[in-house]
Amino acid sequence: MNALLLVGSPKGRKSASCLLGSILAEGMRKHGAMVSEEFVHEGLRSEDGIARLLDSVDAADLVIFAFPLYIDSLPAPLTRLLERIAERRARIAPAGSPRLAVVVQCGFPEAHQCGTAVGICRLFADRTGMRWAGALAMGMGGSVGGDLKKLPGGGKNILEAIGMASESLANGGAIPEAATAMFAKPLMPRWMYTLIGNFGWRMQLRKNKARRPLTYRPHSQG
Amino acid sequence: MKALVLDGSREGDALTAVAVLGMTSALAGRVDVVELVKPRELAIAPCAGCFGCWTRTPGECVIKDDARDVVGSYVGSDLVVYVTPVTFGGYSSELKKLLDRIILSVLDPRFTVVGGEVHHRLRYRRFPKTVGFGTLPSPDPEAERLFAGLVARNGINAHQRFDVEILAGVTDPVSARRSAERLLDRAGVSA
Repeated sequence: MNALLLVGSPKGRKSASCLLGSILAEGMRKHGAMVSEEFVHEGLRSEDGIARLLDSVDAADLVIFAFPLYIDSLPAPLTRLLERIAERRARIAPAGSPRLAVVVQCGFPEAHQCGTAVGICRLFADRTGMRWAGALAMGMGGSVGGDLKKLPGGGKNILEAIGMASESLANGGAIPEAATAMFAKPLMPRWMYTLIGNFGWRMQLRKNKARRPLTYRPHSQG
Repeated sequence: MKALVLDGSREGDALTAVAVLGMTSALAGRVDVVELVKPRELAIAPCAGCFGCWTRTPGECVIKDDARDVVGSYVGSDLVVYVTPVTFGGYSSELKKLLDRIILSVLDPRFTVVGGEVHHRLRYRRFPKTVGFGTLPSPDPEAERLFAGLVARNGINAHQRFDVEILAGVTDPVSARRSAERLLDRAGVSA
């Protein structure tokens, strides 16, 4: 089974999306799947890169999008790739019908805020002759750093959910509903996440030696 | 009163061109100034996801390109109209690349609760009234449902209601204008 992980975060290898997608890919490899990784933002910078991305999608049995929620939907470059894939699949009758699975995380505490983005991906799969293989969507993505084990509870729910999803995907199945539900579980109480988040923005501002307050309004009309 | 129309059409998109025409003619009798911005004709890099507009130069993106100019227009407008081909229920990549660069800089990163969910605070006292005007080649209930949901969710992020209208298979400017009038009426944009 030949799978393709497409990372849709502009932060590339340093992103939470890449981390989550890579853990899924690693889990699938342990179950016998071949998984390659591509970075959408890098690929879209040149026509050669776009051609490589499109060829990789054509060659895959399973495509996985891993991305952060951007304004309730997909980051623009990933949307661009969807348009390009759809154009190609409309022009050249696709030889196969790869499955599409999604890993999405948002910076708000509520996983359900990713629902519209998941819906867009699902509709994309439906309209381009791909088969929907489910989604893992989580909130509190701002907590996901380099080591999931440092998360409250050791990131147990995330790792178990990805473990279930990787086994099923590698064996030709879809992401189990139980994995989707487990992945969506909050990592900590909402009040704690927002408290840490609000503190974190101020700390970042200080660390960056910003010369403006967090609340600065460069456009006075507002 | 000023309206900013963001034309998210891609090259050769005749349906969205008709929608833009219908919307701008409907606005002509209701607002003093209409500014039309076409992202596909601008040099706009994708959002880098660096949060620099929150924690390095609050309120301003660190990437210096055409998107930075649009933020000033956005904040200074009373009404913003997203005109876009409905793309699998979402916005076109052309519109999205601009929105990805604008929206964070008009929000304040600190969290607050809106409608029972956590969202960001608003950076400015006033967020422009916003409406979504989508186009489809033919009726598509699933894409329409998703698009309406996306526009509504964007409204929650802005702590207000965003209205939406979809033109399905509309190729004549008169019908497009009628739909635009209906949308503006619903949004309370009157002469």
